[in-house]
Amino acid sequence: MKRGADMTELTYGLDELMIDAMARELSGEVLVSSVTAFGALAGLVAKAFYAPDLALLSSPESGMDVDITPTLSLGQFFAFAQSGVAIGMEEAFDAIFLDRFRIWINPAQIDQWGNVNISAIGPWDHPKVALVGSRGIPEDTSHLSKLCYYVLDHTRRSLVASVDFRSGAGNSNERRQTLGQIGSPSVLVSNLGTFDFKGPQGSMRLRSLHPGVDVTNIIEATGFTPAINPDDAIPTTPAPSAEVVAFIRNHDPLNLRHMEMNKGNASGSLLEQAYARELDLFPSTAPRGL
Amino acid sequence: MNKLLSLEEMASQIQNGSTVAIGGSSISRKPMAMVRALARSGVRDLRLIVDVGGPEVDLLIGVGAVREVIYAFVGFEFLGLAPHFRQARQVQSVAFQEWTEYTIMAGLEATIKRIPFMPTHTGLATDVLRVNRSFGRISDPFGGPDVVAVPPLAPDYALIHVNYADAQGHGVILGDSHVDALCAKAAKTTFMSCEHVLSSKDLRTMKATAQILRIYTKGVVEVPWGAHPTIMAPEYRLDLEAFNTYLQHCVDANRWDQYVREVVLPSHADYLAGQGGVASLTARLKPPSSGGPSTQQ
Repeated sequence: MKRGADMTELTYGLDELMIDAMARELSGEVLVSSVTAFGALAGLVAKAFYAPDLALLSSPESGMDVDITPTLSLGQFFAFAQSGVAIGMEEAFDAIFLDRFRIWINPAQIDQWGNVNISAIGPWDHPKVALVGSRGIPEDTSHLSKLCYYVLDHTRRSLVASVDFRSGAGNSNERRQTLGQIGSPSVLVSNLGTFDFKGPQGSMRLRSLHPGVDVTNIIEATGFTPAINPDDAIPTTPAPSAEVVAFIRNHDPLNLRHMEMNKGNASGSLLEQAYARELDLFPSTAPRGL
Repeated sequence: MNKLLSLEEMASQIQNGSTVAIGGSSISRKPMAMVRALARSGVRDLRLIVDVGGPEVDLLIGVGAVREVIYAFVGFEFLGLAPHFRQARQVQSVAFQEWTEYTIMAGLEATIKRIPFMPTHTGLATDVLRVNRSFGRISDPFGGPDVVAVPPLAPDYALIHVNYADAQGHGVILGDSHVDALCAKAAKTTFMSCEHVLSSKDLRTMKATAQILRIYTKGVVEVPWGAHPTIMAPEYRLDLEAFNTYLQHCVDANRWDQYVREVVLPSHADYLAGQGGVASLTARLKPPSSGGPSTQQ
């Protein structure tokens, strides 16, 4: 896929299309946590345009209802400078257990059933690549009625028939037996399209195609055959409005969304730039001695 | 009671084979000065318990001090994977138990409440329960479906770093509280380092997000920059330069030996000098506008 070439005519980027699609999935009065730029920006767009009652956090466990801009490492400083509500881990997990919590998760692998992996590539006990560990994803998949995933590199390595390790539970007989109706994978936003899990037996189904992407591209890039409706029934992912695009650009002065998209590539220099600029941009929330 | 002691006095009390819980979260408020002191002490065969681990786990694996890690996550967030952790996982040079964020908390909570397990749905239909045999499955005595039983996690020691403490061992945290209070209560012995020691009277005026009660604290070490290079809200931010230096020295054994010699083995005062000194650290990690009026935005 020549993504850049396809979208040069458009007035928005793939990043902005994806962030807007992610934002449209958030609703209600729930805590929204994020550990990534895409997740943070989706929360901000959602609250500004689609779901005003969302309670955004500036760090995974603090800063509820403060004025937030995504930074590399200043989330806690925003919370402190603006006296944002300190949530704490117990409160954050209670919100998860009570299904009053949403988070956009960026897994290394996701499979046709919505199982996700951030623990290991290869067997867990002798991995080819050891990743970070399941973190709080098992809590999310055991309790949240809406599970939101995104991937920035839709390939046969990231969308696989079966994940190497289930850090998070997808749809399975085991889930039905042990968790009943609690929790389920809901949506995947990739750089090629959006998907739900309403295919046969709760399998992944193509929901919309991004501009310039066709079904063949999806099939070529996916390690299994997702459920696909007849061609004429698959809509194009809605374009973000000019207001949303302007909002995203205004709210990401450190360009963290592009740093995230270029991970392992040009991210080094983007990282250095963002780090050098973050204190200058936000002096009022800067670290301080007391 | 005066519980103040030095980093070296603290580290010398931790025996080979101890189980050590470490507070903080990935790249935030890790007790790095205490961890470096532990590395200097030559202690071996540690079992580490971390909820969200980062450079502390990586450094202790790197110096060969670790026998087993119980963790929900070990990584450097936007700076990528933890290199020694990754390597040790792949060559199986250290034992690992993968838990999850809440189950680590529940295991500590079970120890605190002195009950045999905590029930949860967490982990059902995932492979965490397949690879980690520590968890049990119990039937609901009231007739519902089975639940997961999380066994107690009982650290011998907890190491935590806080913003302020008094000499009696009362500590306050101003940034995110993470799991430090659970670690402090679950451990038999808790060592707390702090950026600043205050009088008990002044400490009470602090608006804390969490407190560590002195009844749980065995010793207090005053270590300004004690979480460096991790985030210490609201006092100083992450030191990218120091993280990059670390990562660059993890590429081979020679460079790692050099890092240990130059960065880990020196005293904390020499460590700070090696980072460019307090003036340089302040300029990089605390803005010139610190405490003063904003000049921009």
